[in-house]
Amino acid sequence: MSEAMAHKRPVLLNTFIYGFIILWLILAAVPFLWTVWGSFKVEADFFSRESWWNAIFGTATIRETGAAFTGDGYYGAWITRDFWKAAFNTIIVTICVTTISLTLGTLGGYALARSGRNYAFWILIAALVFRAMPHITLVSGYLLPFFQLNIWGVLPTSIIVLVAINQPFTLWMLHSFFLSIPKDLDESAMVDGCTRFQAFRLVIMPVMWPGVVTTGLFSFLLGYNDFAVTAMLLSADNQTMVPKISSFLGSIQETGNVMFAVAAVVSATVPLFILVLFFQRQIVSGLTAGAVKG
Amino acid sequence: MPNKTFFAFILPSLIAMVLFIALPIVSVVVQSLYVSHEQILVEVENCQPFGGCSTELRVDSAATAALRDEQPLGRFNGLGTYVNRAHLATTELGVILSSERSFGEKWGQILNLPFYKALIFTLVYCFFVTPLAMALGFTIALAVNALPKVTKGPIIFFSLLPMIITPLIGSLILYWMLSPNGILGATIQHIFNDPTLSLRASPALTWGALLTYGVWTNAPFSFVVFYAGLQTVPGDTLESAMIDGASRWERIRYVIIPHLAPLATFVALVQLMDNFRVFEPIVGFSAEANATSLSWLIYNDLTGDSQQFGSAGATSVLTILGVVILLSPVLVRTWREFKHKAV
Amino acid sequence: MAQIRLKNVSKRWGKFVGVDNFNLDIADQEFLVLLGPSGCGKTTTMRMIAGLEEITEGEVWIGDQMVNKLEPKDRDISMVFQSYGLYPNMTVYENIRFPLKVRKVPKEQHHERVMAASKMVELDDFLERRPAALSGGQRQRVALARAIVREPNAFLMDEPLSNLDAKLRVSTRAQIKNLHHTLKRTTVYVTHDQIEAMTLADRVVVMNKGVVQQVGTPMEIYDQPANTFVASFIGSPAMNLVNGMIADGVFTSDGIRIEGLPHRASGAVTLGFRAEDANLAEANGQIEAPIYTVELLGEATMLSMRVAGELVSIKVGKDYRAEIGELARIAIPASACHIFDQSTGARIEA
Repeated sequence: MSEAMAHKRPVLLNTFIYGFIILWLILAAVPFLWTVWGSFKVEADFFSRESWWNAIFGTATIRETGAAFTGDGYYGAWITRDFWKAAFNTIIVTICVTTISLTLGTLGGYALARSGRNYAFWILIAALVFRAMPHITLVSGYLLPFFQLNIWGVLPTSIIVLVAINQPFTLWMLHSFFLSIPKDLDESAMVDGCTRFQAFRLVIMPVMWPGVVTTGLFSFLLGYNDFAVTAMLLSADNQTMVPKISSFLGSIQETGNVMFAVAAVVSATVPLFILVLFFQRQIVSGLTAGAVKG
Repeated sequence: MPNKTFFAFILPSLIAMVLFIALPIVSVVVQSLYVSHEQILVEVENCQPFGGCSTELRVDSAATAALRDEQPLGRFNGLGTYVNRAHLATTELGVILSSERSFGEKWGQILNLPFYKALIFTLVYCFFVTPLAMALGFTIALAVNALPKVTKGPIIFFSLLPMIITPLIGSLILYWMLSPNGILGATIQHIFNDPTLSLRASPALTWGALLTYGVWTNAPFSFVVFYAGLQTVPGDTLESAMIDGASRWERIRYVIIPHLAPLATFVALVQLMDNFRVFEPIVGFSAEANATSLSWLIYNDLTGDSQQFGSAGATSVLTILGVVILLSPVLVRTWREFKHKAV
Repeated sequence: MAQIRLKNVSKRWGKFVGVDNFNLDIADQEFLVLLGPSGCGKTTTMRMIAGLEEITEGEVWIGDQMVNKLEPKDRDISMVFQSYGLYPNMTVYENIRFPLKVRKVPKEQHHERVMAASKMVELDDFLERRPAALSGGQRQRVALARAIVREPNAFLMDEPLSNLDAKLRVSTRAQIKNLHHTLKRTTVYVTHDQIEAMTLADRVVVMNKGVVQQVGTPMEIYDQPANTFVASFIGSPAMNLVNGMIADGVFTSDGIRIEGLPHRASGAVTLGFRAEDANLAEANGQIEAPIYTVELLGEATMLSMRVAGELVSIKVGKDYRAEIGELARIAIPASACHIFDQSTGARIEA
């Protein structure tokens, strides 16, 4: 319909629409492109007082290193400052958070979708309230007990906490996804001779993967993007990428090695780019699933 | 589903939520009623061979540490923490309000109280960013909907980036561009012809940068949801509006906006919740001198040299109250609908 | 042997009553139809028999066992769902075989029994397809085959024909009737379609708002509806119902007067008569009113006219022609009249 109408649209309006979209795309994409490009320069170029053309042509970079591009920032961050360790920790945290969240969430979401009792409703409402809690308020409740129990600073603690914080969202998302799977399916299975759990395993599990993948993407993002929990609950040795970057800031800016942080930032952005590239459709459907039904 | 089966399925998830969401809230409330122990002082007689003796107060660090180990919560302080200067500052607020100064001066003084400074920024961020991001998202959605189909995939790809990006990283990227030596910061100095203008020096610029970041990172969510909503606008209604003689704008006003209204409520709710906990941008922009948020206050209490659990607890409780107030329209509506259904 | 017995069965959600004090004995090998409008509790009743819905009060017995606390799988029943509930990730063959597999029926029997069941519903050519590649009618037959492959004590069918188009519905209906004759199993069948109920049932239970209105053979509920609800629900067109007064065997209302009724009652009543029992009158008929519409049905012509504020339908010969607004005289034999209490709607016997 929109294409048929495009012919009738006044030229002025069309110009405005294209102009607006181009402007938005610049706003959305250029900061990333700029930073990626700049991460291969030296600090004098990326933060150039004279002219920002230096950052594009790499004037100072050529002067200092002899080439227009340099990997010094990446070398400094990954090797000198052990960013690889943080990356490795991030991999562990995100994989664990995603799988545990999904395991608990599918079971719980399925029960909520099939129960239809009042308490299921109230659990969902409580989850909504929990979902709204700022993470840092919860963290301030963890610290003291975790110190006492001597479980502060290690990866498993952070993983469990992230899983719990992620549960309200996961439950809501999977609950609405399971509602879209006909009840007839598991009920036939139960009449055919399955227990509830067998019905879930044999009949529901084979058809639930689209919803699980979508929810999993968001669990992944939560674990990956988190700063409040990992910054407060992990000791310096066990830091993941995001708190590591933040700890770069304090020490690096003084010694003039801000390019380490820039390189680390770009490195941490790449997986997100790839994620959007391959799972754009699922991300969009996940964002809209809650909205269209709610 | 029988109760037993239901709980067998949901128990792991419930336990996780109770242990790590519900209990911490309780723990925060308890913490907020305590403050850390004062240091134990001992009188030490200090005698020197020729100077005679003098008594001196000294910190007994061993005893202090022992006491802190024994009672990690600290000593009971009641609501003391809530009303002190770092939080509700009731005394200070009373003095300011009863003084004879002009409104502007009072406002300035209130902004100097850490809790109110954070609260005001948090609320401004919430209620400025949310509608603006929704308006921007809606406009993008309308514009993209008017474009040929092939362009949609790439546009959505790039549009998702500001939303999907780690908040700390996203704000750092903008911060670097806006720093005096960065491309945008230098340009701004050039435009205003003021070589001292910088994020650090200008509160207005800091607020502007944080709010811009907020709109930038929130708009894609509105865009995606509204864009999906636009695909479900009933074609029949649009066409009959066209036959009835509605202009382009009237079709948006009377058909599309009413159709998207329920979605808008949902988007507003989610974004208000998320924006109320604004935190990472303050760290990323190193903005604490000019703008702080409630979440940042808690973070600051917890990361300082001596961790102030009581103070962090009190701010957390006040923040949670804020969340409940924000959510109350939803909760009241849900409760009414539920009662209605039960009768 | 599988009689199914429901004793004082009720289902409540909070204050909402889904099924109210349902009592019924279903005989072995009987074909019983639960009939009623949507939301009348018929599906809930069946789901309580299946064990998919908890029973708030009362007892359900299958054979000589009280099954209230049994899981659906332990009740030895099979069920055909309205939207079939086929497993989308399995082929037709695997779908039909599924009940045998989860019930640990010895493996060597599987193939033979799947083939027998699929032959019975003429599915042999589609066994390797997945449900998504089947038409609506074929999916429906997969659901049937899956239900019969196990040879359970009883079949439960929840509106199995409602997702089929009109033509397919007629042929599948015949197939179900034939299957019941072959397999000789107790069958409980839920529908809102009174024609399905009339054609399939040994006995029909008419329900409304959670309450049983009448239990009887199709002819009984057609010829002697227990109340105005049953009268208006059964038959196409539904029975004409006109409010009026009765005294000394004479029913009168605006535009209608019927004498010689055998009923002793007097006072405010509702008169019921079926369109096919009325006829054109030669001279002075019981109804005299202008024609509202004339509809040609092919095998007959349907007249409608307004009597005492109600539109009544009269079936007349296929060659009858008249203009809208023309005055028509209609004869209604007193023997074809049903009288119902106006306030309770209950049938008043002669």
